[in-house]
Amino acid sequence: MGSNNSLAVRCRSLVKSYGSGDAKVTALRGVDLDVREGELLMVVGPSGCGKTTLISIIGAILSQDSGECIVLGHDLQRMNETERATLRGGQIGFVFQMFNLLPSLSAVENVAIPLLINGTPQKMAESRAREAIEAVGLGSRPNVLPSELSGGQQQRVAIARALVHDPKLIVCDEPTSNLDHDTGVAVMDVLRGAGKKHDRALIVVTHDPRIFQFADRIAHMDDGKIIEVTNGASAL
Amino acid sequence: MLRVAVKMLMGDRAKYAGLVFGIAFTSFLVTFAASYFTGFMTRGFALISENPTVDVWVMDPAVRSVEKTTNMAASALDRVRSIEGVRSAVPMALGTAEVRFANGQFQSFQVIGVDDATLAGVPPPKDGVVPAALRTPDSVIADPGGTSGKLQTPLRPADQWPGGGPRLDVPTRSLTVGDELLVNDHHVTVVGKSEALPRFPPRPLLYTTYSNASRILLPERRRMTFVLVSAAPGVAASDLAALIEARTGLRARTSDDFKADTVSWFLENSEDVGDIAAMLTLAMSVGFGVTGIMLYMFTTENLRQYAVFKAMGASSRMLLAMIFVQVALSALLGTGLGLGLCAIASQFAVEAEYPFRMMWFTPLVSSVMVVIVSVVAAAISARPVLTLDPAIVFTGR
Repeated sequence: MGSNNSLAVRCRSLVKSYGSGDAKVTALRGVDLDVREGELLMVVGPSGCGKTTLISIIGAILSQDSGECIVLGHDLQRMNETERATLRGGQIGFVFQMFNLLPSLSAVENVAIPLLINGTPQKMAESRAREAIEAVGLGSRPNVLPSELSGGQQQRVAIARALVHDPKLIVCDEPTSNLDHDTGVAVMDVLRGAGKKHDRALIVVTHDPRIFQFADRIAHMDDGKIIEVTNGASAL
Repeated sequence: MLRVAVKMLMGDRAKYAGLVFGIAFTSFLVTFAASYFTGFMTRGFALISENPTVDVWVMDPAVRSVEKTTNMAASALDRVRSIEGVRSAVPMALGTAEVRFANGQFQSFQVIGVDDATLAGVPPPKDGVVPAALRTPDSVIADPGGTSGKLQTPLRPADQWPGGGPRLDVPTRSLTVGDELLVNDHHVTVVGKSEALPRFPPRPLLYTTYSNASRILLPERRRMTFVLVSAAPGVAASDLAALIEARTGLRARTSDDFKADTVSWFLENSEDVGDIAAMLTLAMSVGFGVTGIMLYMFTTENLRQYAVFKAMGASSRMLLAMIFVQVALSALLGTGLGLGLCAIASQFAVEAEYPFRMMWFTPLVSSVMVVIVSVVAAAISARPVLTLDPAIVFTGR
């Protein structure tokens, strides 16, 4: 558990559907979920159960149809797109399964992007980006292109990018699914350390049982609902 | 983030090169095509251009261009001369004649009859011949008028003026001083050759005196095509033209206005110009289309990267700025390269005597057009970026 019990995320009765008429698909059917500051919560479940939709809503990327979602004290449903973008840019970090690094930018330039989006001057952004890269163990290779890095190193760069602007919430989508076991564990080590050190909330969507050990709690989803929340140790 | 946009643009070298090359090609094509078209039009009013001392051209009221003319009564000359503000007024006759060479070959020529006294309008003859040579009876100065290989006469004296029919396949040489031609059954002697401005449509020219033109051209009741007027000092050409029109009922145009009239006439009436313009428009449209599509594709192929930015909190304004910076940089580089290429190509075109004339505003206009196309392409390609669902950055969506 985290160092305190303040809620970083509070979701109640979240409903989200895609399409309309006969093609309507309900991805979330009333999700209730709390995530505390400093906590690493994993969301697991079969493909199509609504995990990605859930983190998209929590990450202020997608709007719910109904229900309440309060993230870092902000009621997302009451925010317009600009306010949500500001929230994402300032307080939320993202780690993606496919890394989503820009191939033409060096590692340090990739990591600096969130700062640049927030208006940080170039030099200061790159300086902080170098610190973030060092923090994830890639301090010796800040100027290489993503194509010159291994999958694990690329994911570390992506983690550094998610952390560089000191977000309060980090949303990770299958961060280890493209990595071998050892690398996946190492990446999770970095993520967990970054979360605990600064009391950040981490939400990790995963299929990978090898990393369940890093979870404080695990939310099990199926058919658009959270059917059970267990603590991480009990999943092992 | 604008720096990131530039790095995104240049990072994918193949796409970037393709994009810049596409814009350069369009810029080159538009500038070259427009200059080529301008070259044609410039040649269309070559007769006006080669008479720079003429302030006002007076003609039949129905005449709208130097290309299609009808003649006036000889009295028009005196009527024009009687108007105050006219320093000098001289006649000019234009006509077309089938001219026979010494071997019997024939060729259509434009005959230009200039004032006997002043010989105004005769281009400088080559090889030391002076225009006054035209004062010799039955003399002409021959000019290719933008054609090539059309002023040929038999090489061997035995093939010249043969009896028993033409000798069309005999060796020939260029016309030279002393050669004879047959114009409407009148023998004329070439007393000089000139290289006046090339014509559009190209045609060989025969310069002669007004009186000689009246004699060798087919008889017409009216022979005078233009009165070439010089204004008295202090008299504005436009004012004088208006006065001449008011007093004589004839059409009087300043040189610049008459050039503009001629261009308009070509645009409205010449099928050749219409065909050329259509081809050039098609070429330019293809160029613009290619540019627009390439810019659009460049942006849409990077949608995932924009989605990442959007997910990280980039505003729509920031993404728009990034797209426009990429487009502006590509357009700037491409246009510069295209114009440079066009400048090089123009040297070859001019040396090869193609109708090429790059006006000062042509590169400017083509640059503006490329920018407009780029901006439109950017605006069109911006739409999917602005409506992009950043959730696509997550797998399964």
